[in-house]
Amino acid sequence: MLNYILNRIKSSIVVLFVVSIITFVVLMIIPGDPAQLILGTEATPDVVQELHSAMGLDKPLYVQYGNWLISFLKLDMGTSYLYGESVTTLILNCLPVTLSIALYSMIIATIISFIFGIISAIKKNSFIDYFSRSIMQLGTAIPSFWIGMVFVVFFGLKLKWFPISGYVPASESFLGFIKSITMPSVVLAIGEFGLLLRIVRSSMQESISQDYMDMAKVKGLSMRKIYLKYALRGAMVAPLTIIGMQFAKLVGGTTVVETVFALPGLGRLVLTAVEHRDIVLLQGLVMFITASVILITFIVDILIMFMNPRIKTFERGE
Amino acid sequence: MAKKKDLFYKNFSMLIGLILVSCILLICILSYIYLPHEPNEMNISDRFIKPSENSEYILGTDNFGRDILSRIMIGSRTVLMVGIGSVSIGAFIGIALGALSAQFKRVIGSVIMRVIDGLMAFPGILLAMMLVTVVGRGVQGSIIAISIFMIPTFARMVNSMMLDTESLLYIKAAKSYGSTNMQIFFKHFIPAMLPKLITQFSSAVGSAVMIETSLSFLGLGIQPPNASWGLMLSEARQFFLQYPYLAVAPGIAIIMTVLGFNLIGDGLNDLLIKRRSQA
Repeated sequence: MLNYILNRIKSSIVVLFVVSIITFVVLMIIPGDPAQLILGTEATPDVVQELHSAMGLDKPLYVQYGNWLISFLKLDMGTSYLYGESVTTLILNCLPVTLSIALYSMIIATIISFIFGIISAIKKNSFIDYFSRSIMQLGTAIPSFWIGMVFVVFFGLKLKWFPISGYVPASESFLGFIKSITMPSVVLAIGEFGLLLRIVRSSMQESISQDYMDMAKVKGLSMRKIYLKYALRGAMVAPLTIIGMQFAKLVGGTTVVETVFALPGLGRLVLTAVEHRDIVLLQGLVMFITASVILITFIVDILIMFMNPRIKTFERGE
Repeated sequence: MAKKKDLFYKNFSMLIGLILVSCILLICILSYIYLPHEPNEMNISDRFIKPSENSEYILGTDNFGRDILSRIMIGSRTVLMVGIGSVSIGAFIGIALGALSAQFKRVIGSVIMRVIDGLMAFPGILLAMMLVTVVGRGVQGSIIAISIFMIPTFARMVNSMMLDTESLLYIKAAKSYGSTNMQIFFKHFIPAMLPKLITQFSSAVGSAVMIETSLSFLGLGIQPPNASWGLMLSEARQFFLQYPYLAVAPGIAIIMTVLGFNLIGDGLNDLLIKRRSQA
């Protein structure tokens, strides 16, 4: 078990290292001098040169990389030239928005997938099974920006249930906060539940076909208890892994939805950084988001290991 | 009985996938033969004509008075070109890298696979957005960014399949009578992997279309005045509160394409992989 954790730590660090190299190298080969970009075209060459060396751009690439990585580990990601603020502050300001819609949408997606997944596994090849399978296909094929626009028109303008854009912090008004993040979260959930539903359905089916299910039936337990207590418990591992993975991916995958609903989250910040070629900001953001994804995935894996005795014994070689 | 019903559902959804994709292909081919209007022609006097209001513009016109139907048709070219083009490039590089790393397991192989792991760690379209910053926007930029995005899946798949097949008897036999690695790869590995690769290809085109339209929607993909469905939706955003019909046609076109390729991918997976392993 300890071996498993150590192995996971080792591979996470390797991936993190590779990610940092990719991020650094890719954004370094962008044509144009960042110093020139910051100062504009009217700056004299001397001034540009001065800033150039002040930013350490005249040092060899590996020294630049080393300095960048070390300061990233200290959570000092430099200053965004666009905002004139430290990247860390900008990220911390945007993080709550993205985290709340990611979490909220994962809750919605989980509830929908478990309800429909369990029913369609139990009543295989029934109407509801085909229905949920079709909805699942449709859900993954609908672009989130399109369904977002439809929601804005229908629920925002026609029914006036939810505000069409903007974000209300929870400290200001809790109801306003929930209202402002409901539509974006539902839109995200529509894109996410397809895969999850598929996994719930297949692992539930597998669990139902196990021998201990017959045993439970022979014991004369009620079907409800059999399904919810025995089958579901055996079918939890794969869906939980997927939930963790999807949540992690959402932290970096909310750009489109945040744009549609004008939410000031991480995704919007990434888009602004890309649009204005703010390399320092973009490097910091990409590294921060990807590192969080790797960290979340790692934590989920460890949690699941504690829940699933099969992995433990497998590691002991039994 | 239940099996039969299940089979019917699966065949039926594959059929729908085929119909949807053929529709899009047909629209694309038709766009080279006939377009109702010049897609970029602006008629300010004909702005915001609703669908079926004017028989000249079947799907209506947008904020510049451009014919939406023609723009959808010409947009299908971009979508298919970026979708199929980027997946082809990504698959080609991915297969090559996967094969290389399965062949030279020690240094080259582990370096390649670590880089692939790293590429896979970037969530969602973050990698594509970062790459667009470097390679620039437009059709070319989108193709490069999406093809790099597609490399890891194919590389991992080929790598693991080759490691699985490697120890099988017929590969060992081929080695024993002196086939070169290249010969073995093309004569034995490729045919064995083909069903999975084709399946993966189809699903990958679906997600490539999704990424392309998302990038265009964010203003990082196809640039105006060129037509792309994602861009059309992005342009519709300013006006669709008054004119919701602007968003209908491009949205449906995207859903049809992505759904079509996904359904074909699923159907092929069922047909070529699952049923075969059951038999």
